[in-house]
Amino acid sequence: MTTLVTGGSKCGKSSYAEKVLENFAGQKYYIATMEPVGDDAYEIIARHREARKNRNFITVECPRDVGKLHLPADCGILLECIGNLCANEMYTGGAVLRPSGKIISDIRRLGETASQLVIVTNEVGSDGNSYSADIMAFVSEIARINSGIAEFADNVVECVYGIPTALKGELV
Amino acid sequence: MKFVVGGAYQGKTAAACELFGFDESEIVNGSVCVFEEAFTAKCINSYHRLIERLIAEGASPLDFTKKLCAENGNAVIIMDEIGCGIVPVEKSERRRREETGRCGCMISSASDTVVRVICGIPVFLKGGRNED
Repeated sequence: MTTLVTGGSKCGKSSYAEKVLENFAGQKYYIATMEPVGDDAYEIIARHREARKNRNFITVECPRDVGKLHLPADCGILLECIGNLCANEMYTGGAVLRPSGKIISDIRRLGETASQLVIVTNEVGSDGNSYSADIMAFVSEIARINSGIAEFADNVVECVYGIPTALKGELV
Repeated sequence: MKFVVGGAYQGKTAAACELFGFDESEIVNGSVCVFEEAFTAKCINSYHRLIERLIAEGASPLDFTKKLCAENGNAVIIMDEIGCGIVPVEKSERRRREETGRCGCMISSASDTVVRVICGIPVFLKGGRNED
C-alpha cells in the first residue's frame, strides 16, 4: 500500500503520515532526506525527531538515491520529503539536473519492497510568484514527481490546515 | 467556530456570508482592525494578515489564536492558504508562513465546520452544510 501525503507548510503532513503507520506491526523505517544545511535545518530535524520518539522508527539518512536502499521486504517506510530529495538531486553544484523520472522510479522501487510506503511531499506551485529559471525548474520537477507517484499510489491525501482530505483512495 | 480557507480571491467572504448567514458589514477586517476586536467579532476575514501584524508587533500569533478560540467560540474565521509555495528565502517570511500554518491547524481543530473555497465553490473539509 502506497500513500502520498501532500499539502502546504505546517499543515499536518508529517502527523498524518505517522498516523498511517501507527498500527503497522512490522519494522518501520524513516527515510530522512534533509541535509543539515542552513539555520532552520537542525531545528526542523530536532522537531521531527521529537515527534517520532517512541514510535519505533529506525531512521535512515538518505539525501539522494533512495532507490539504492536495501530495506527488508514487508517493512513500513515513511519517506520525508520529496522537496528535499528533489532539491538534493537537482542542485549538485554543476548544472541543474532534472531528476523527476529517476526519483519516481526510485520511489516505485521502494513501494515494491515495503508493505506500507508513505511519502510526504510538498505543494510548492501555488504562491503565484515568479522565480528564477532554476527555481521554476524545481516547482515543475516537484509537480511531475507528485503526479507520477499519485498515478501508482493507492491513496493520495492533502492536508489543509491540519485536516486530511482524500484526493485518491481513502483516509486512515 | 467556522473556518473558511482557500487561495486569495476565490470567493471565501461571499461563501461565508451565504453559508453562515451574516452580512459583509458585520465582518472585521484582519488587515486593519484593532487586535482585540477579534475576540468579540462575529466574523474576521484576512486572518493571515492579522497574524502578520501580530508578528510585526512582536506578539505571539499562537497565543493570540488560542485566546481567540477560547473566547470567541462562535466566530467565523476567514483566512488565505499561504503555505503552498516555495520556502521563502527570508527567515522572517518563513516564520510567518509556518506560524500561519500552525494557527490554521489550531482554528481547524477548534471548528465544527471547515470549508475550503475554490473558484467560488465551497468544499466541506470538516462538518457539513447542515451542522450549525
